[in-house]
Amino acid sequence: MEPSIKFNKVSKFFGNIIALKHISFTVYKGEITALLGDNGSGKSTLIKLLSGVYSPDEGEILLDGKPVKFKSPRDAVSSGIGTVYQDLALQPLMSVTRNFFLGREISKGLSLDFQTMDNITKTEMAKLGIDVADPSQPIGTMSGGQRQTLAISRAIYFGAKVLILDEPTSALGQKQQLEVLKTISKVKKLGNIAIIFITHNDMHAKLLGDRFAFLNRGKVLASGSKKEIDMSNLRTLMAGGDELAKLENELKA
Amino acid sequence: MASRDERIREVGFFKNAISRPELGSVFGLIIIIITFMILTSLSGTFSAMWVRPIGIQAWVELAAFVGILAIGASLLMIAGEFDLSMGANVALAGHSFALLLLFGVPIELAILLTFIELAFLGFIIGTIVVRTGLPSFIVTLAFWFASRGLAVFLSQTFMNQSRLSVKSIIKPPPGGGEDPTLIDNIFAFDSAFGLPFDAEVYYFIILIIFIAYLLHRTQYGNWIYASGGDPVAARATGVPVANVKISLFMISTSLACLLGILTVMTSGASDPKAGDFRELHAIAAAVIGGCALTGGYGSVVGAAFGAFIFAIASRGINFVPFIDNNLFRVMLGLLILGSALLNQYLRDRVLKG
Repeated sequence: MEPSIKFNKVSKFFGNIIALKHISFTVYKGEITALLGDNGSGKSTLIKLLSGVYSPDEGEILLDGKPVKFKSPRDAVSSGIGTVYQDLALQPLMSVTRNFFLGREISKGLSLDFQTMDNITKTEMAKLGIDVADPSQPIGTMSGGQRQTLAISRAIYFGAKVLILDEPTSALGQKQQLEVLKTISKVKKLGNIAIIFITHNDMHAKLLGDRFAFLNRGKVLASGSKKEIDMSNLRTLMAGGDELAKLENELKA
Repeated sequence: MASRDERIREVGFFKNAISRPELGSVFGLIIIIITFMILTSLSGTFSAMWVRPIGIQAWVELAAFVGILAIGASLLMIAGEFDLSMGANVALAGHSFALLLLFGVPIELAILLTFIELAFLGFIIGTIVVRTGLPSFIVTLAFWFASRGLAVFLSQTFMNQSRLSVKSIIKPPPGGGEDPTLIDNIFAFDSAFGLPFDAEVYYFIILIIFIAYLLHRTQYGNWIYASGGDPVAARATGVPVANVKISLFMISTSLACLLGILTVMTSGASDPKAGDFRELHAIAAAVIGGCALTGGYGSVVGAAFGAFIFAIASRGINFVPFIDNNLFRVMLGLLILGSALLNQYLRDRVLKG
């Protein structure tokens, strides 16, 4: 397996606050790395380091073995980091095709080339298992799961080698959550994309994750492949190690 | 999966029919035409309004004037912004143009300078809105006072009068029609070709076609919708939202400039009351035409229909003596409210999945 992104003792400080301290973990191509952690564990800071919003104060980030320093989100995108944020950055009143190509439209002369863009949208969405009957429909008519797929498909088409999914299932109903999980596993099968799957849901993490990293209070509590991590301990790790045990004891007392 | 697709297609067909933003205004236009045809028939003025050229001119020319401003109003509303200063800018453009002519500036240069002045004004308004984050309603309200105030101040200061006549310089139609110059042919065509309508009618038709193409078929149009729909998402996908908005304010002031110059060219004078309240009529046309004040939704074609609805109701009432003129305002108010409600209902249908 080729390592795609490697964090090497990365730290990030905001004034006297230590947001992340000596974070090390590796993400591989064609694998899903589940990044788990509670609120305030430093997940958002980590995503922002990856997507070029912040740069690290200590340590280095290696992309395909080479150290990288992203100057801006645009810089990160052109280096192949695709981030799908929770709000998806979609326009509800605009069509599927217009959303897919927003900001990167294909024109023939001065006019938008809808034939080409519609075809690409259909083809790319079909790769992830969504049959778009009419790409000129406003995405207001799509389900939450389908919109998620649209955002993922768009990131991949525009060159994402590392795909960061920020809690893609958290705002969805049960059925749509499954739809998104299917989509993510289809992206994995493409084989050349490293997926960082950020989630609160230990069931989803267990189901999809090849590799796990647990963040707690700015530190990596544990990381490793499915075999290396004690899966029965997943929930405890997510809740922040032995803090849950402490609470249990307190409640008993 | 297959059954789900069938459902989407079925709903999609229905939605396609009602999801056009201009749909409400098409119905509105048909209703208003039929209503006034019946009312004028009852008053015995049917041919005066619908057949005789002077009657047709009355409402077509008003529709064109309001419609040209409504193009700017609807573009801005689609991008989530607002321009209250359009009517005042018509007066500022007219006065600037007339003053330059009276100073002895050649007409071609005076037109160019006036367009530069108004485009720059749009740039200033847009930059203030984008940089300060103040609502454009407030910023353009300031210019609603300032533009007309500046126009009258300048003409009082330099010419000692608030109405500026330039009849001695530009020979407006019908007297100046014998030997039209190129400028006459561009800005006052009725003097050149003996066409029944003032120049703004032709500009209106050309602009509607051009802007509708721009809005629906080009990258810039896509960016306008995205800037109003969800500016944060638009920025995240690489749309230069601030520049799009500034450029639209420049289009809005330039359209006001065009009307200011056309008015002076065809009437031979610049009136300080030119374009008064027309910004509200243009916004009414845009709202009737399906534009949402919240942005991201609307069409210029709808705004054009809206301008015709306004103009037919506005001029038509003069042909119907048994209805009080003041009642027209009541009607217009109800029309705007009704259209806004209908359009909101249609828009919700699009959003619901």
